[in-house]
Amino acid sequence: MNGIKFAAKRLLRLILTLFIITTIIFFVIRVIPGDPALIIGGVDASPADLEAIRARLGTDRPLSTQYVEFLWSILHLDFGHSMISNEPVISLILQRFPLTLTLAVLGLLIGILIAIPLGVLSAVKRWSGWDYLGLVFSQLGMAIPSFWLGILLLLILAIRFPIFPLFGADSFAGLVLPALSLGIARAAIILRHTRASMIEELSKEYIIAARAKGLPESFIRYKHALKNALLPIITITGIEFGYMLGGAIIVEQVFSLPGLGRLFLYAIYQRDFPLIQGGVVFIAIIFSVVNFVADMLYSIVNPKIRLE
Amino acid sequence: MRKVPKHYVFFGLFMLMAGGLLFAQGSGTLVFGLAGNPDTLDPQKTSGTLTFQVVKSFYDTLVEPDTSGKIVPALAESWSVSPDGLTWTFRLRRDVVFHNGQQFTSRDVAATLNRILDEKTASPKRSEFTMIQEIRTPDPYTVVLSLSQPYAPLLASLASGWGAILPSSLIASGHNFGAEPVGTGPFKFERWIRDSRISMVRNDRYWMKGLPKLTRVEFQIVPEQAVQVQGLAAGSIHALEFIDPDDLPILQSNPNVTIKKELTSLILVMAMNTSREPLSDLRVRQAVNYAIDKQVVLDVAYGGGKVGSTFLDTGNAYYTDFSSLYPYNPEKAKQLLKDAGVGNREFTISVPQNYPLHVKAAELMQQMLTNVGMKVKIQLVDWSTWLSSVYSGGNFDFTVIGHTGKLDPDGTLAGYGAGKYVKWYNSTVESKIKEAAKVSDFAARKKLYTEALEIMAKEVPFVYLGTSYRYVGTRSNVVDFRMTPNLDTYDFRWTEIR
Repeated sequence: MNGIKFAAKRLLRLILTLFIITTIIFFVIRVIPGDPALIIGGVDASPADLEAIRARLGTDRPLSTQYVEFLWSILHLDFGHSMISNEPVISLILQRFPLTLTLAVLGLLIGILIAIPLGVLSAVKRWSGWDYLGLVFSQLGMAIPSFWLGILLLLILAIRFPIFPLFGADSFAGLVLPALSLGIARAAIILRHTRASMIEELSKEYIIAARAKGLPESFIRYKHALKNALLPIITITGIEFGYMLGGAIIVEQVFSLPGLGRLFLYAIYQRDFPLIQGGVVFIAIIFSVVNFVADMLYSIVNPKIRLE
Repeated sequence: MRKVPKHYVFFGLFMLMAGGLLFAQGSGTLVFGLAGNPDTLDPQKTSGTLTFQVVKSFYDTLVEPDTSGKIVPALAESWSVSPDGLTWTFRLRRDVVFHNGQQFTSRDVAATLNRILDEKTASPKRSEFTMIQEIRTPDPYTVVLSLSQPYAPLLASLASGWGAILPSSLIASGHNFGAEPVGTGPFKFERWIRDSRISMVRNDRYWMKGLPKLTRVEFQIVPEQAVQVQGLAAGSIHALEFIDPDDLPILQSNPNVTIKKELTSLILVMAMNTSREPLSDLRVRQAVNYAIDKQVVLDVAYGGGKVGSTFLDTGNAYYTDFSSLYPYNPEKAKQLLKDAGVGNREFTISVPQNYPLHVKAAELMQQMLTNVGMKVKIQLVDWSTWLSSVYSGGNFDFTVIGHTGKLDPDGTLAGYGAGKYVKWYNSTVESKIKEAAKVSDFAARKKLYTEALEIMAKEVPFVYLGTSYRYVGTRSNVVDFRMTPNLDTYDFRWTEIR
């Protein structure tokens, strides 16, 4: 019951958020310089041809009319058609979502698989060889730009040793290197948080009490400390996951992948208003869902936290 | 914890197998590296070069340019123009079939031209066809066009990508040509995974006997330049159109790659906003021209080229050389700037940031102008902003850009002398260009264009940098990959992989 109330509250908040950001984005993209008719017509189109294109796109009408019409169609869950390609915005987004989702899940898995064991190890054996390895890894992982890591991975594992394809997402193999370069960057961030959170938990009084009680050290670390340390890790992982679901522009660019990031990037370049608006709504929903799931996980990991 | 390594091993093995299975393609398949995703595959709803480069294989036009740029028969086996230039008669081929099995007739030509002329289509090229007053089809293999006034450039428009002939039945049913092209071309559309790949297969019933030779063409969309180059070097890409001069050494040393150097049809310029003080002063524009060593800009920024002297590509049949007018002479530039009293005014070069070569050229010219005492800064803008604010809005002092080539000089020159983005007005130039469009005799047209181009060369609303080379890279076993002159589209009809 509590869960339903919580979900309903969240949904209301999401709708309000969507209304505010779509309104802002609607006007911002129309105020900045740029005209989709010029993208279609190019430098050689005559003024009369440009007028005809604007009439077809509907951008020749007053902004207020366009805005009311936009709100009306959003209420009907109609995101319209891309101005540049004339394809439905929904299908453009849904075509690319499976790839982006797969990539984000793989990237996150790789990130967690590297970060949590290494982070815990770093915290438990502070200033040991493991800890230094963890610190160096996270420092490098955050400092190395992902496009550079991506190109490096391609040069070594697709060119020098042609194990993986150089481009394309036709097979699972094509996703390994992009997931790796996404995952390493995530791992670096999650590792830092894991280590810090774990160190904090291990210095708390209940750990001393548990030790005094004579519990085995591994039980204390993994059953008690890790479970409590997970909360901030879930938060940061959720945020990172949300970002990846919005598309990983740089990684998609380097690995020639048709993901959401490139779709939205070109939509902005080309001032494809309906597609930008659809993309913003989509990303906002994704973030809300991810946050919702993260909150649910809180209460599972720590039943003391109630959903309100 | 002990279980984890096992998973890693399986993971690794699976990937090795999956990797090995990839790229098992037939030898008749050519993989072409395309730098971006076309906006649409509808030839009448865009002006995007990428679209025309891809749809060239799906569609044919009534007439087409041959390898020298001369317009020759294609779907029309012959044509004639009445002495007054108002009636154009096309005789069509009888052996042409659309990809959907429909026979090609004059109805398709009429339906296509009506589609372009329909305002609802909103074709960006509609203005090139508006002098067509009436389209008649006296029999299935004859089309007669009646014009409101003589207009020689119409032939070039019919030969360009936007003149592609579509099947009348599908036009009538509102078929989505943007997603699923159907034409008479050498290859049939198979699949388009947006932002990833466009696949096409041979049209076995193509009207040119024995062509095309390839069984498949795959356009692989690879946005990252470094990956394109590595793909060509490693063999996963068979051909690339535009190789950055910086990447040439890697490819030239590779025995499996052949690099062909060709003159493009680009007109590279630094345009000046002549409505702005002090660029409205001819002496200042002349000074800017004297200050710039065009050959250096071409060599360093664009990988070489032929220096220009007026507003036409240097390889064009209508081009006349006026390069003796403003040779590189920084001393003279300084003197002219002093005479004009330019003083401390700061100038801005606005450049579209998505064209790294133009940005490099702008940086070089900034240095050259600084050397003669001008204060110049560079402003990078995105392409949409360039189109609306710089090109259409006139918010610039200088801008660096390349105008793409056209089959007919009217496509390049129409409107100049009457403002355009350089805001330069000269009624003689305007009327000569208009007059030339009505004349069909080559020598008479050339005379008119030369007179207009000479004034443009003297009055310098631009710095005419010239025309650059293009480096086309193919695997060494790829033969006869052609690019259509002036249109820069890809022609795979004669291409083979040996």
